[in-house]
Amino acid sequence: MGVLDRKLMRDLVRLWAQVAAIALVMAAGVMTLVLAVGAQRSLFETREAYYERNAFADIFATATRAPERLADDIAAIPGIASVETRIRENAVLDIEDMLEPASGMLVSVPDDGQQVLNQLSMRLGRLPSPGHPAEIVVNEPFANAHGFEPGDTLSAIINGRKRALTIVGVALSPEFIYVVPDLMPDDRRLGVVWMSQTALAAAFDLDGAFNAVSVKLLRGQPPEPVIDEIDRLLEPFGGRGAHDRDDQQSHAFLDAELTQLQAMSYVLPPIFLLVAGFLVNMILSRLIALEREQIGLMKAVGYTGAGVAWHYMKLVIVIALIGVAIGIAAGTYLGRGLTRLYGDFFHFPFLIFRLSLDVYVIAITVSVAAATLGALRSVRAAAALPPAVAMRPPAPARYRRLFGGGLPFISLLPQTTVMIGRNIVRRPLRSLFTSVGIALSVAVLVGSLFSLDAVEEMIDITFFSAERQHATISFVHKLPADALYEVERLPGVMAAEPARMVAARFRNGHLERRLSITGKPAGSNLSRLLDVDRQEVTMPREGVVLTTALADILEIGRGETIEIELMEEHRETVQLPVSAIVESYIGLGAFMEIEALNRLMREGPSISAVHVTTDASQIAALYEAVKNLPMVGSITLQRASVAKFRETMAENLTMMVTIYVALAGIIAFGVVYNGARIQLSEQGRELASLRVLGFTRGEVSWILLGEFAILTVAALPLGWLLGYGMAYSTAEGLATEMFRLPLVIERSTYAWASVVVLVASALSALIVRRRIDRLDLIEVLKTRE
Amino acid sequence: MNAGPIYTVEGVTKVYRTGEVEVRALRGVDIEIGAGEFIVLLGPSGSGKSTLVNILGGLDTATEGKVFFRDEEITGFGDRELTKYRRDHVGFVFQFYNLVPSLTARENVSLVTEIARDPMDPGEALEIAGLPRDRHDHFPAQLSGGEQQRVAIGRAIAKKPEVLLCDEPTGALDSKTGIRVLEALAQVNRDLGTTVLVITHNMAVGRMADRVIHFADGTVARIEENEKREAPASIAW
Repeated sequence: MGVLDRKLMRDLVRLWAQVAAIALVMAAGVMTLVLAVGAQRSLFETREAYYERNAFADIFATATRAPERLADDIAAIPGIASVETRIRENAVLDIEDMLEPASGMLVSVPDDGQQVLNQLSMRLGRLPSPGHPAEIVVNEPFANAHGFEPGDTLSAIINGRKRALTIVGVALSPEFIYVVPDLMPDDRRLGVVWMSQTALAAAFDLDGAFNAVSVKLLRGQPPEPVIDEIDRLLEPFGGRGAHDRDDQQSHAFLDAELTQLQAMSYVLPPIFLLVAGFLVNMILSRLIALEREQIGLMKAVGYTGAGVAWHYMKLVIVIALIGVAIGIAAGTYLGRGLTRLYGDFFHFPFLIFRLSLDVYVIAITVSVAAATLGALRSVRAAAALPPAVAMRPPAPARYRRLFGGGLPFISLLPQTTVMIGRNIVRRPLRSLFTSVGIALSVAVLVGSLFSLDAVEEMIDITFFSAERQHATISFVHKLPADALYEVERLPGVMAAEPARMVAARFRNGHLERRLSITGKPAGSNLSRLLDVDRQEVTMPREGVVLTTALADILEIGRGETIEIELMEEHRETVQLPVSAIVESYIGLGAFMEIEALNRLMREGPSISAVHVTTDASQIAALYEAVKNLPMVGSITLQRASVAKFRETMAENLTMMVTIYVALAGIIAFGVVYNGARIQLSEQGRELASLRVLGFTRGEVSWILLGEFAILTVAALPLGWLLGYGMAYSTAEGLATEMFRLPLVIERSTYAWASVVVLVASALSALIVRRRIDRLDLIEVLKTRE
Repeated sequence: MNAGPIYTVEGVTKVYRTGEVEVRALRGVDIEIGAGEFIVLLGPSGSGKSTLVNILGGLDTATEGKVFFRDEEITGFGDRELTKYRRDHVGFVFQFYNLVPSLTARENVSLVTEIARDPMDPGEALEIAGLPRDRHDHFPAQLSGGEQQRVAIGRAIAKKPEVLLCDEPTGALDSKTGIRVLEALAQVNRDLGTTVLVITHNMAVGRMADRVIHFADGTVARIEENEKREAPASIAW
């Protein structure tokens, strides 16, 4: 180790607190990068491997009843690797340990157990054996939620008939990595139930027929032409339109999670590296100013400018590497933890951890680059300093009168305040960057914690303003409107409103989407339509109402005409005016007045579901009745699901808030602490002189810390603005067809973000304040700067 | 002129410990300083004169012994009381002026008058200290060394302190400028009745004092009393 390197080590030790503050800011950036990319890749790899091993299909389609021979025609479509036909239906499940009915998704497995596509990963037990129609396999999360094991039994209302079923196996499926019963996840209330093909065919009169088909494409085959061909083939059999993985609920939800992780790796690390670069710039220019004479000496004895520059660069690179090391260690550790958390949440049969070496290389490169860039200016100045000049003291700092001395009120300000003002103005760039750095920490908080507000708003609008029913009872088939009265008469039902669902395809030019039209009565009070301002929209008697998301996708506005292909009964294609646009944050939606929809279908009054509000005191009786009502296909319990969802949110809340508060705190602390330390180094002599003149510790501290108080307070509005921008891009980036985050930021979020940053700044100020208290009053009289 | 002692110093010793080295800066000093006196402290470097002035000014504490300011024992003061004592009673003038670079001459004086009990007008203080009126609104970086020292004197006297402690006030100045600074100090002593203590290496300066206290090895070697104080202008070095 050369002598200069020894000096470097001692400098690092001497400046340890500031070095640590900068290294931590860098570490935070590297950590978020490694964490997000690591978890994203691990999850992605896990999902891909899972899909590959279990032959997850590429295209999915449903029909009313298609003959089994059609499978050969589908298999003959060019580009298809394999086809599997199935029966998929819904059922109401009656489980002993649960008062309320659960929903069951019934899926057939071939009698011989040889699944071609969407193969099950058996966790316990076995597949149903041929000739035993009551044997079922259930999905693991559902089984875990109820403590089910092979041998346990449950009841189900399958096509209007109550059946006792025996669990023979517990499994996971790539098709149901993530399933939600009522828009909200609740493992207890939604079971995937696999039964033998023969058993399901018998229950739903589908012998020799199927109502669902999955297709695997040859590698490189685009899905669109195959989807068109499948639609053509299924059309005569009530085909409801084929779709690819993008419209598959489980896949789409996972995609949204992966996108979110990716966004985290794009947004957060640059913020930290920017701040770190600025901090390096500050600390190094001060260090070089203090070591002017040493630089002059080094040059006088023959070190080159480049040698001097490299010496200081090494210091900066070491700081960056410390940060990278901490960041990589923390990021890798937390990345594994996060992947495991996702693994538990999504129920993968296995997890693949990807150690991404390239990310480490990127982390090292960008961190060192950020630090080097931050150091460049002062290092260049040090290299260019002629030795003779370096040995002389620097030219005194030049101050200006604020506003050229033109403002009379300035002469009324206390001189200590004037000092603060002139210090801020003398180094406008440093002051600006300090404020921007603090503002970024506010922005990190606002831009991340807003999602809590957004989710709360989404729940509030969706479940308390728009869909105000407590439960929705869906029928197996559409029923005459009288069915409403039957539901109304059930115990515990306080109010009931009918709904009618018709599968359709919406078209505007080349733009197309497949979804159900929901018919609601005009003036419905439970399931309501709201406009973008949350005002209720009365269901127009004519035309169709679209949600904003659907209108945006189809690029259509109010008053224009849309083409709708009805995919049930007569399968007519009609042109309807768009009579209103309404807001909805979950899924896509299209609505019509229920009678108008029935007329369009050329049918008498029909309904396919009933929304109800319930009397909590009679809920047990209602559940019991529903479990025994043959016409019920499924029941969704919105209120129960919201409660469960809030519970889950609350569990994750503490961790999320802790992480972001820590990240923001690190930035605020790093900026204020380093800034104040450097300011103290520059002004220490001045402040000690004031102490000699009789200024108290508090008064002297205010001169230095007041500057940071002002810069911090000035940073808050900027931070709110930047945070709003981050929230905006987050909301935009996360918006999918399945759900969108409303851009809502509560005042309390701004307030909390500000409080966290103010506290972090105050803490760092207090630490520096202790140094101000220990200023050497005698030394200052003897030396000149 | 001698209306009772302003400082009474009784057996003051000061020991600095830096690591394993022990330095005895003062070894039992006993002196009295009368109110309104002009005192010059002479002695080689390390003889203890600065240490004594630092203790008198409330910047440092004695290891042993007592120091009274009038009737108050300042050797028993804590930091808060010392700060108040400096603020109310003591003016300092330093070798390197120690002005606040971000404040103009007048503002540097205002800095002190704002926290003083019965200060004079900052402009008046600067005029007594001999800074021309057209320089009052200049920043320290725009002033010469002598001008900066006069701002420092103005700042020190503006609060009408009872004592003015000056550590090498002319040390960084050429002789012509130095004499004008000494004239300012003499004028303050004469017109305001302020007790002035000046530390210097310069024997000649002693001729303008009432008394010259010679320091050697941390003790008072001898005290010289001048029959007649000479005007600074007649001092040459």
